[in-house]
Amino acid sequence: MPKAVAADYRSRLRKPDDFDAFWDDVERQASAIPLEPEVIPDPLRTSDDVETFQVFYTSLEHIRIAAWYCRPVRRAARTPAIMLLPGYQMDPPIPKEWARKGYIALSVAPRGKLRSNRQFNPGYPNLLTHNIVDRHTYAYRGFYVDTWRGIDFLLSRPEVDPARIGVTGNSQGGGLTITTAAMRREVRAAAAGAPYLCGFMDAVALTHTYPYQEIDDYVRLHPERRADVETTVAYFDGINFADKIACPIIVNIGLQDNVCPPETGYTLFERIGAKDKQLYPYDGHGHDAGRVRHTAIVDRFFARHLLDRDGNA
Amino acid sequence: MDDAVRKYWQDTLDELASYPARPEFDVLPIRSTPFATLYSVRLTSLGPYRLFGYLSIPTGTGPFPAIYYPPKYQSVLEIIPQGTANLQRSRYITFSLAGRGQRNADTPFAAMFPGLLTEGIDNAASYAFRGIVADSVRGLEFLLTRRELDAARVVLVGNDVALIAAALTAGATHVLTTPALFYKTAELATKTPTYPLEEINDYVRTYPARAEAARRTLGYYDLRGFAPRVTATTLLMAGAPGTLLDARALEPLVAALKGPVTVHESEQSTYKDGLYAERWMAARCGITDVQSILPEHWRD
Repeated sequence: MPKAVAADYRSRLRKPDDFDAFWDDVERQASAIPLEPEVIPDPLRTSDDVETFQVFYTSLEHIRIAAWYCRPVRRAARTPAIMLLPGYQMDPPIPKEWARKGYIALSVAPRGKLRSNRQFNPGYPNLLTHNIVDRHTYAYRGFYVDTWRGIDFLLSRPEVDPARIGVTGNSQGGGLTITTAAMRREVRAAAAGAPYLCGFMDAVALTHTYPYQEIDDYVRLHPERRADVETTVAYFDGINFADKIACPIIVNIGLQDNVCPPETGYTLFERIGAKDKQLYPYDGHGHDAGRVRHTAIVDRFFARHLLDRDGNA
Repeated sequence: MDDAVRKYWQDTLDELASYPARPEFDVLPIRSTPFATLYSVRLTSLGPYRLFGYLSIPTGTGPFPAIYYPPKYQSVLEIIPQGTANLQRSRYITFSLAGRGQRNADTPFAAMFPGLLTEGIDNAASYAFRGIVADSVRGLEFLLTRRELDAARVVLVGNDVALIAAALTAGATHVLTTPALFYKTAELATKTPTYPLEEINDYVRTYPARAEAARRTLGYYDLRGFAPRVTATTLLMAGAPGTLLDARALEPLVAALKGPVTVHESEQSTYKDGLYAERWMAARCGITDVQSILPEHWRD
């Protein structure tokens, strides 16, 4: 069996003094850009129980962002909503299964993803290190805002109950869940699985697998830029956003995760500011982070916080 | 495999053979390490269509065992699968190929996910996967030309397309396959609301007049038709018991495979399933110290 993971791992990450000022400035720039939402019915993906739409909205640098939007055919005038965030290399799914559970569901394709890559397309591998020496142009600056604007889109929809919005995702989607819950107070519940983008430089030292391997590749080729890389990613590290999270949140990690080292998951969880938080570490699991057992926990969590059910339904 | 299916694939292979691969290589310094050099590869397939791949060659004299990753069902092309230790490249030649429509091979055709599974499905001659299967065969043909390769240790790793490629062309000694697309597709799609098979349901619901044509096309791709031509030693990764593609459901496929086959039922842990697969490949390729090429969190 693999060695036990140190739950008291000490991260090397430091929070920049101007972290909040940096993101305040980004948010100010983004807020000046109209959302310009388009909601286009997709009859091919619509069924008797779920209506599916292709959604587009504008984000930072005027980049058009695509998303899938599903809603239950039978729903209340104001329905709770879930935003789903994608993994690093996955194609954002059509979230019919969430609509079947009674939520309006938005599955966002941040810039560079399929359908959002006409204006920005660094590719895979490459996204993780695109302009990584400059926080003002680093790929994830816009990428993060694209996901936060997904919440703004949901808030613009008359059929969405603005008091019952949740966010979830696994891997990169888990990391984006952290940053979104931190930056959008309207998020009332969050579930992050195997969070990526948390403890960037720790992960580069702890494991040698892609996607974090991209950073290792970059600093091996450009060792003189290592300090700039470390400076940049500190502004984007989910661990540095975590203290802003106030909503109920659950986090699941796999103790044999070969992509997002579990040590970084423990560090993240310790830094989360919410009082109502729970960590689910799964021994014997890798980057799936115990999904086979955890899916039901996530369902109950959102049912309790967004559907006003006891979670046993 | 009946005569019509055999002819369909023979015609496809004959047409592929009419296009020379004309490979181009460029070293990618950022992805090269002291233990392996990475090349971008461009080569021609059926159409003609120019494809893209990542070829990694270990440092040293070889010959080396090889892992070929034919096109996956996703837009992104990985150098090696996410979560695989980069050190895998120190012991194996690895070659991953973007089929037409995937990133770096998405001009002129950019595939949609979901969407690709039903692209042109009402006509077997123009179904997108005819080209993708041809691409997979072309990738294997290309890999087998590498002088660093040990032809006695060539593993294909992937979904249904890996098994189909192994059936259609010689050279694969081992196949590690996880069926997801082309096993009783039309029948199983009706039992799940989950993508990618939900694409079939969407298509049939929207275009009921084309349903029979789609079913006919899928008949050319069913794994049971290819299995008697697969002589490679095969590891079949089945779903967990009770899932759509569990070991019980795959029994007819197992029975039809010509070469030796091992079935691994998913333990619903990417760690346990991944470790099993890594050990299986290493054992078949004569790699005795598999621990050294596992991800850090999987090592003892």
